[in-house]
Amino acid sequence: MKVAVYKGFWDMLPLNLAVLPWGILCGSLAVQNGFTPLEAQLMSLLVFAGSAQLVAIELIAKDTALITLLITTFIISARHLLYGLAIRNKMVDKPLKWRSSIAFFLTDELFAFSHHHRAYQGKLRLLYALVAGGSFYVAWNLWTLIGIIAGQFLPDLTNLGLDFAIAAIFIALVIPSITTVPILCACICSAISILIFKLVHFEFGLIASALLGMTVGYLLQSYKERT
Amino acid sequence: MITTILAMACVTFATRYLFLAKQLPFTIGPKLQRFLSFSAPCVLTAIWVPIVFIQDEQLALSVHNPYLIAATFAVILAYRFKNLYITTLGSLVLFYLLY
Repeated sequence: MKVAVYKGFWDMLPLNLAVLPWGILCGSLAVQNGFTPLEAQLMSLLVFAGSAQLVAIELIAKDTALITLLITTFIISARHLLYGLAIRNKMVDKPLKWRSSIAFFLTDELFAFSHHHRAYQGKLRLLYALVAGGSFYVAWNLWTLIGIIAGQFLPDLTNLGLDFAIAAIFIALVIPSITTVPILCACICSAISILIFKLVHFEFGLIASALLGMTVGYLLQSYKERT
Repeated sequence: MITTILAMACVTFATRYLFLAKQLPFTIGPKLQRFLSFSAPCVLTAIWVPIVFIQDEQLALSVHNPYLIAATFAVILAYRFKNLYITTLGSLVLFYLLY
């Protein structure tokens, strides 16, 4: 029990720290754009989606129509559909309280720790995921609060290179999971396609490059097993 | 404003919860499960690769790009040690030496 809690906390800690500049930015940007402190905090407490929050703050400040705002939010959040689908078989037989709480915490960051074939199996692994996801939620809201209170006195921290820390953490998580040739080819395909999609500003680039890589992996794996 | 925030929260939660809903009447067969088994490596790759390879909206394939050099080191560390903290801290030190 204790081990699951500690491991969840320590595994997520690097990401909790690495997203500090963006949490602060979400808080300070919201206040600068006319949100009350309570509304700014509620964005992180309820919406809890970094990139969607940043885009939404700017859209709300520009008095964008609600439907446009919600469609944009959906486009940015569409990748979470894939995360839910990927862990459906592991989660669907669990009670509602586990499914709803894990779903609420199901960010990119938590999904990064969901790859293990026995993830979410048994109380301890569920608790691990809950602690990891929950600690990220607490950290994100704490950074937002700092941004709300002190944002105007702080310099922009997003250009300090902490985005490299996020990349390094994801590298640390993805490289050990590349154990077969199909997985390697899937990753290379996703890497090349996301670069092309980013350069041409394709909005569904992340999910499209993931699906392309997954298709390559699937085909190679199936081919490997047939021969 | 509160209504707007609540509406957004519904959208983000719905995308996360939809496929965890029991009421959704479908099961994932072995073929789809195999396809999905590649999702985590592919998504993670699609998140970190642009951070490293794209600077100022341009492809930055240069030895003067500290992100690229430090990320290469991170890949080596991750392959060799398979440890989150060694890879992250080790490559971060190199990154700031170059940055």
